Amino acid sequence: MAATLAQLKPGQSARVTDVRGDPVLQQRILEMGILPGTDIRLVRVAPLGDPMEFAVLGYNISLRKSEAECVCVETA
Amino acid sequence: MTSARHNRADRHAVVLVGNPNVGKSSLFSALTGARQKIANFPGVTVEAKLGTTRFENTELSVIDLPGTYSLAARSPDERVAIDALLGRLEEVPAPDGVVLVLDASSLDRNLYLGTQVLEFGLPAVVALTMVDVALSRGIRVDTARLSQALGVPVVEVNVPQGRGVEELKSTIHRVLHHPGKALELPFPAEFRQAVDGLYGVLCDLSVDLGFKPTRPEAMRLLVDLGGPLHDEVRQAGGQAFDTKLAEFRARAADGRGLALVEANARYGQIAAWMREARQVSAPEGRTLTDRVDAVLTHKVWGSLVFVVVMGLVFQSIYAWAEPLMNAIEGAFGWLGGTVAGWLPEDAAMLRSLVEDGVIGGVGGVLVFLPQILFLFLFIAILEDLGYMSRAAFLMDRIMARFGLSGRSFIPLLSSFACAIPGVMGTRVIEDRNTRLTTVFLAPFMSCSARLPVYTLMIGAFVPKQTVLGFLGLQGLVLFAMYWVGVLAAIPTALVLKKGILRSRVTPFLMEMPSYKLPRPRNIARVLYERGGSFVKRAGTIILAVSIIVWAALWFPRSDDITRAHEQRREAARAGHAATLAAAAEAWRQGMTGPELEADPAVAAALADMRELEATDKAARDRDETEFGHDETALAEAQRAGRAAYESSLLELRRRHRGALSPAMQMLAAEQELEEGLAAIDNDEAAAHAENSWLGRAGHVIEPAVRPLGWDWRIGMAAIASFPAREVIVGTLGTIFSLGDVDEQDEGLRGALRNARDRDGSPLFTLATGLSVMVFFALCCQCAATLAVMRRETNSWKWPAASFFYMTTLAYLGALMTYQVAHALGG
Repeated sequence: MAATLAQLKPGQSARVTDVRGDPVLQQRILEMGILPGTDIRLVRVAPLGDPMEFAVLGYNISLRKSEAECVCVETA
Repeated sequence: MTSARHNRADRHAVVLVGNPNVGKSSLFSALTGARQKIANFPGVTVEAKLGTTRFENTELSVIDLPGTYSLAARSPDERVAIDALLGRLEEVPAPDGVVLVLDASSLDRNLYLGTQVLEFGLPAVVALTMVDVALSRGIRVDTARLSQALGVPVVEVNVPQGRGVEELKSTIHRVLHHPGKALELPFPAEFRQAVDGLYGVLCDLSVDLGFKPTRPEAMRLLVDLGGPLHDEVRQAGGQAFDTKLAEFRARAADGRGLALVEANARYGQIAAWMREARQVSAPEGRTLTDRVDAVLTHKVWGSLVFVVVMGLVFQSIYAWAEPLMNAIEGAFGWLGGTVAGWLPEDAAMLRSLVEDGVIGGVGGVLVFLPQILFLFLFIAILEDLGYMSRAAFLMDRIMARFGLSGRSFIPLLSSFACAIPGVMGTRVIEDRNTRLTTVFLAPFMSCSARLPVYTLMIGAFVPKQTVLGFLGLQGLVLFAMYWVGVLAAIPTALVLKKGILRSRVTPFLMEMPSYKLPRPRNIARVLYERGGSFVKRAGTIILAVSIIVWAALWFPRSDDITRAHEQRREAARAGHAATLAAAAEAWRQGMTGPELEADPAVAAALADMRELEATDKAARDRDETEFGHDETALAEAQRAGRAAYESSLLELRRRHRGALSPAMQMLAAEQELEEGLAAIDNDEAAAHAENSWLGRAGHVIEPAVRPLGWDWRIGMAAIASFPAREVIVGTLGTIFSLGDVDEQDEGLRGALRNARDRDGSPLFTLATGLSVMVFFALCCQCAATLAVMRRETNSWKWPAASFFYMTTLAYLGALMTYQVAHALGG
């Protein structure tokens, strides 16, 4: 099974390989610049374990864990 | 703004488009100043702002839209941007050009929307904001190259420092006189052909559609699944259209998701532009925002700050607003009384209408302003600061369980003080369905207006006991009442999100903007807008309702009741006069009797009285007396004189009790009359209330509220409380002939406890008290909340649904409470 954004450790960077899941969610994620080939870093996880904050394309975005699981990544 | 001096050519309109948090609203204010109009659209919960500005001889209308990340529209709210660009919104002029507001610090994502907008081909200008933020992160944008790449002028704008606004105006003025050119991105050939093909199909349908379709719309239709545009086109084109659309999609997709094709093409082009037009000199280190976030989203410190901030917000609405609200109520009470006093004595109806209906109604609107302004003061500061997103980040996990989002937290918290600011506060929630759910849940939170009802019922029916040795039973019941609303809200939220408001998914996806210092002008503008919008839009409805309730309590005015009580008053006055006359006669005779004349004590008392008079006179004109300026001696003499006079009077009274008692009777009679007249007034008010439409309604619904343990009086008070629940206390006071009372009034508590049924058993018991409280906890008895719901959702559908749902729930809840409590012997 490929790694997803939800499995990153805080501070860890990765490159997006695929975006899956519900088409509407997929489109939203893609629109925000999280698409195959983009570098993304997990900044921190909320105190209750969800959602997670990522840095991508020079800004920060928070995704719920369930959303982060839709984004497949490869780590260097 | 129509002006005779300008012909059409001198008036233009531009629309501001951009992502959220890029300074678009500040730019709008900087361009247009304070004068702005707010446009609402049916079925849409977002609004557009309209303002005007001048450049040389041109009058420029500026349209500000809610920030968005994309033109893809899955809900009517998201469609507003496209409709505004195409000039298809009522109340909003068709734009002649676009101002694309882009944040220099995150240009890639900003340009995603940018490329979509530029494809419309309207004359456009880019306003580049946050250049200083970008520079601080080592990002330098070459505006000349960016302009070349996009094919439109780029103007750097710094609103806080007032730089670039004039240049932006002149640039807008310049581009408006040239036709725009649609941006063309290198989409794959199959994708392009599919868009063109679909565009052709749409054009053939344009008569049925009722509007002239555009190529960008064809692209949206191709890529976006569902949404309002698709619904409309399907209505015009039927099943045949869907078949064609599926064909085009299959041809364009090439086995991959169309959204991915679109995103790849746009972000690919953007990356190419950025390689030319942007230099990143320093590697991205830890920014200030990052360091602040390390604390504010920390497990311990972040939670602590969050609790403190939320406590502050709640405290401000719950406690700080109260003195202001009391002052407003006091001022309007005084004003009502004063104005009514100017009206002729015999125009009782007019006086009551002015005092209770109109002035009371206006006061009833304005009384909510302190809470609204306090909440929006905090929301504006926290939003400006960027903390709102962090608060949502911290709370999302909990709120998500109930189908809400982290952003629902503040509106719901505020609703514990008052649902009105709470409902208005839901605009911080970006997702439409989550926002509507939160609006619907807000009135379930036990607001401060329910407290008087709880206080009254608990005081009257819940015994002052302690349970488990230290918990007061009264306090426990009060605590339970706050939970009733929350417990009813949870299943409601789940049903709403899984049923009526189900969308396939509600992406959370929230940008975490960098921290910025709040700007006072921004905050002042938000307060002005929100306060004004409440007074104008909700205020009129609230005022109307207050007049209707006044009328329902006044009409039909029975002259018989007035006359009967007038007769009672006459009788009381006549009795009083007779008592007075008799006592005066007895007094006169007693004083002149021989017994008194012979008594030396009378002479002594008279001497003492004269002595005191002399001393008092000396005190008045002090120069001419033996005391001169000796204040102490004078005061001493006065005190001695008063004591001597008092003791001789006492002596006199001891000896001639019989002679003086008529004087005492006269005093007592005065007080008796005063109390008697007040009681008659209260009886009359109660009789009128029972005879009013509302009172009759109370009788009519009595069979329905009997199972709740109520009689017609509580039924009537509950109906009267539908516009504003706190009214129940005053209504019960009136109907129980107690006049003006508050919830602490022992008389009212006693009256409730002592009310007897026909068989002499107590009419109301603990079970009744609990049932009334549960009813009030669950019922949406607040015209102001419903009016604000209407205002925020732009439809009567939501307030109507809320009203019926909550009333039903309240009835069932109260029924269950009474029956269970009654069976248990309450």
